[in-house]
Amino acid sequence: MVVKMVSLTIDGRAVAVPAGTLVVDAAKKAGIDIPVFCYHPKLDPVGMCRQCLVEIGRPLIDRATNQFILDADGKPKISFGPKLETACTTPVSEGMVVVTDSDKVVAARKDVLEFILTSHPLDCPICDKGGECPLQNLTMRYGPPVSRFLFDEKMHLAKHVPLGELIYLDRERCIQCGRCVRFQSELVDDPVIGFSQRGRALQIVTFSNPGFDSIWSGNTTDICPVGALTTADFRFGARPWEMNASASICNHCAVGCNLTYNVRREAKAGGKTVIKRVMPRQNEMVNEIWLCDKGRLAYHYMESDQRLEQPLVRKGGELVPAGWDEALNLVTEKLRSAGNRMVMLVGGRLSNEDLFNLGELTEAQGGQKLLYSYMGGGDLVSRFAPPKGSNLGELGAGSVVLVVACDLHQEAPLWWLRLKQAVKRGAKLIVASARPTRLDKFATHVVRYAYGEETRTVAAFLPVNVAGAPQVIQSAAKTLTEAEDLIVIYGSDGLYLEESTALARTCAELLLKTNHTGKVNSGLLAAWQNGNLQGGWELGFRTVPDLAERLEKAALVWVAAADPAGDDPALAKAVRRTGFLVVQELFLTETARMADVVFPVLVNAEREGSYTSGERRVQRFYPALPPKGIVPEARPDFAIPALVGEKLGIELEDHSAALVMEHIAAKFAAFAGINYQRLAEVAEQWPPVGGSDLYYGGTSYLNRQGLGVTLSDVLQGESLLNPAPIQTTQRQKPSADALPVYPIQLLYDRGTTILPSALLHERLVQPAVWVHPTTAAEHKLQSKARLIYEGEAVEVAVLLSEQTPPKVALLPRSVGLLGYWLEA
Amino acid sequence: MLEGLMTTLKSMFEKPVTIQYPEQKRPVRARFKGRHVLKRYENGLEKCIGCALCAAACPADAIFVESAENTDEERYSPGERYASTYEINMLRCIFCGFCEDACPTEAIVLGDNYELSFTSRAESIYTKDMLLEPVPPGGQPTPQRTPAGVFTRSVPEMKDPTD
Amino acid sequence: MNELQREYPEEIERILAKYPPENKRSAVMPLLYLAQRRQGYIPPQAIQEIAQILELSTTEVASVAGFYSLFHEQPEGRWRIQVCTDLPCALRGADEFLKRLCEALGVAVGGTTADGLFTVEEVKCLAACHRAPVFQLQGDGEIKYYESQSIDTVLALVEELRCKAESKKEGA
Repeated sequence: MVVKMVSLTIDGRAVAVPAGTLVVDAAKKAGIDIPVFCYHPKLDPVGMCRQCLVEIGRPLIDRATNQFILDADGKPKISFGPKLETACTTPVSEGMVVVTDSDKVVAARKDVLEFILTSHPLDCPICDKGGECPLQNLTMRYGPPVSRFLFDEKMHLAKHVPLGELIYLDRERCIQCGRCVRFQSELVDDPVIGFSQRGRALQIVTFSNPGFDSIWSGNTTDICPVGALTTADFRFGARPWEMNASASICNHCAVGCNLTYNVRREAKAGGKTVIKRVMPRQNEMVNEIWLCDKGRLAYHYMESDQRLEQPLVRKGGELVPAGWDEALNLVTEKLRSAGNRMVMLVGGRLSNEDLFNLGELTEAQGGQKLLYSYMGGGDLVSRFAPPKGSNLGELGAGSVVLVVACDLHQEAPLWWLRLKQAVKRGAKLIVASARPTRLDKFATHVVRYAYGEETRTVAAFLPVNVAGAPQVIQSAAKTLTEAEDLIVIYGSDGLYLEESTALARTCAELLLKTNHTGKVNSGLLAAWQNGNLQGGWELGFRTVPDLAERLEKAALVWVAAADPAGDDPALAKAVRRTGFLVVQELFLTETARMADVVFPVLVNAEREGSYTSGERRVQRFYPALPPKGIVPEARPDFAIPALVGEKLGIELEDHSAALVMEHIAAKFAAFAGINYQRLAEVAEQWPPVGGSDLYYGGTSYLNRQGLGVTLSDVLQGESLLNPAPIQTTQRQKPSADALPVYPIQLLYDRGTTILPSALLHERLVQPAVWVHPTTAAEHKLQSKARLIYEGEAVEVAVLLSEQTPPKVALLPRSVGLLGYWLEA
Repeated sequence: MLEGLMTTLKSMFEKPVTIQYPEQKRPVRARFKGRHVLKRYENGLEKCIGCALCAAACPADAIFVESAENTDEERYSPGERYASTYEINMLRCIFCGFCEDACPTEAIVLGDNYELSFTSRAESIYTKDMLLEPVPPGGQPTPQRTPAGVFTRSVPEMKDPTD
Repeated sequence: MNELQREYPEEIERILAKYPPENKRSAVMPLLYLAQRRQGYIPPQAIQEIAQILELSTTEVASVAGFYSLFHEQPEGRWRIQVCTDLPCALRGADEFLKRLCEALGVAVGGTTADGLFTVEEVKCLAACHRAPVFQLQGDGEIKYYESQSIDTVLALVEELRCKAESKKEGA
């Protein structure tokens, strides 16, 4: 698509920008600051604050010839309007002349600031925004030194208004720019805060229950140009200039949001360095400048006092503290005797380096490299993922996205946001799901199926099957066949491992049969529940349907960053019966409790490493906390297999994550050429954030530490669709009246790394099954019911939910329950 | 030589210029900058609001402040914020008085006390309890229980812009 | 089916019929009036119910209700006497008029009389500067304008309304 360029002059500087660019953005691109409060480059302009007033002149046009009228020098005659115009609402036009530094403009800026400050409290000393406050900065630069308004007439309003349990409002500080309200309604479709009253009485209100009921609420504090909105987490926590910033990657879902930890030494924490807040770090290819509240607030596990502090060894039936040498020697000895009857089970929280070393140790033993995930098909994602250069932020007219069995809003919030924005730019969305999701509203086609029909539904889109399909499928199939680019995202809504593996295969087949492979912005994505599950697949770990059996039969099971026993009663049984259990963990999980040896490990903020996101982007994280800070004895995950390997004569890197990455690049073709230097490369991004112009993009951090590198494609051609179609197990209905139970994934789960963040507790999913009221009545379900799993029943609470489809029960994951059937 | 002895004799009967420190102490000048004191309002509330501007202004990085939120049940200072930790490392302090200048509530004041001696580095760190002045007569110690909606301002209201 | 829908099924249908179904949200103003008619103000529950009917968030409906000064979110007097005191009106004695009215009714601006019948409010321009003092009387589901008023004429009106309220009570 050719974009028409428009040339104009700003402060005497010639600038060429695409047509439709706003004057304020054009100036920014030319390096000229026009101060703004209400304008934000990610939001539609409203022109409310008037801070961006500039002089704009346009060339006079001779109506007869449609040519510029020239003056004596042969230059176009410029006509300036009688009044100043808002740079944030005025698009550029050919030959436009913008003046941002005339006396008139300077005076107008000063007056607007004086006006905004008429009722702004002078409490910068105690304001959390103080030091990174657009209003403060712009006042220093453009504002009047004194106010002509009466101090007695300042409004005195409430300073401590909890909008919800996460966000506090200071009514006095609000300058009514509406960025937060517009962000919530325009960008994230959660219009749960709004303006009430008008004029000087205008105030931000929320009427949702719970208050400010949005998973995006933290972002409003970033874009608020004053300290009106603050998070409960950081309120009065520290002054911005006192904290150090360290780049990292969120590992709570597959998106891999770039973030920054702000850390500080603290007396309250006994002089330890602690994380004071999590801020987004710009990566326009991943999370832009946003973070969901889970990513922003669920970091407290890192400094939990429940963290494992030293190695534990089982002696006389009890786990007792032991030295590293003792624990390592014991594991080495057991590994020697176990030989290839060893199973390595890894979770998606580990970094690429950890996975590599654990995998190498396993391969040297001849053991099995197993991945702990309830979703399959990562090997297909490796082959079918959108190749290098793809960017969800660039999807637009001609692009189609199919989302299957996935509540993206809960499973990968940033993907949801970016797809929603893609629809705004003209992309088409097809949502296939068994229950209503927050994406339906933006979809061109919504295909509703019954749980269990996921794979069959996607198969119906295939060109060979589409003829006899229902109308909605036919029209959706037409849309996706004709698409220029097609991205298919599958999730795990209602799916167990086998079903999701089968679904992934059909999705891949659809891409192959509609010729949407190997093209930029076309491919397969999986909404994994952890940050590095895709990395596990890339590095040769696989999910298996008969995990319990394999665990039980193994002579030695090594579990890293996973809690099978806590999640699944059948796995708990298997783990208990296994020969020898080694666990490396942050906490004493259910699995760790059963272990023979437990190794304490470091969290990602205490060490270096890299994750592979759902889009196969390898991104680096950096140490934010000193390594011997919170848990002095713990080690990074990759060091433990290396230390054991040393004793077994297997050479593995145990100190430098960067060196491990070099080994990975040497062994795995997809990683070829990747090293820590390349991962740290950055490029200029739009909009600019994190500079001295905080007023423009908010307090998101500029990315100085690396945008990441997308993995190379490894396999092409016929072998793409291996393995063969998967047969899923049919489960026997225990009684005629039993309801089938399907698992669902929610954002605020009860995972090991979420629970320690007390602030989120009110929003965490409750351990209960969801049933539609009508279905509950039909099946005579009371407040408690029996959940049946592998022949055993446990009692479970029943939650009536109108959102649940009829004739099924839904069970959120991570609540420590599992079941296939529900009986009264 | 006699002249020299005369000088000695003369000075024997002069008033000595030395004083018997520490029994006797010389009064300090009005602008003397000695050890810091954290001031209180008349009702006993602390003037310090934990803004950490003193720490920001300190060229020697001697001040460490941590703040927390006041409630009406447990109030240390007017407004929302108070210093939950306030420490000055007197070994680092260069007594320049920038902290005093930076303070928006005139809470930190360099006092008269110049007698600072320590036997260990740890001792040189003065905590909030050591720095706070005693509760004035008629005032209450902090934390106080205060009526709702009275102490809402951290920084005293400015009435006159030229002030 | 919520309370508002149960009480005014036909009105709601008539209001909704005026707008295309995909722009249902446009019906928010008429529905707020409907809700206000019932109790003289819009209780939070009604706001929730309107949000339900129009598939909006409660906050969006509350924002609209908050923006317009003719929607009331607090229960006040049965009639609201709303006096304009903008500059042109003030020049014609609206300030004094308001002060005397308040004294006569024994309330402060914004206050409600002890019998719960009248609330006196100060409002912005009512577009009748040349006939100030002017006020609008809002109550019983309608709005009336009274121009070129004096303290005597307004007190006569108050008396008249009081009688009306009395007779109703007796009649009931």
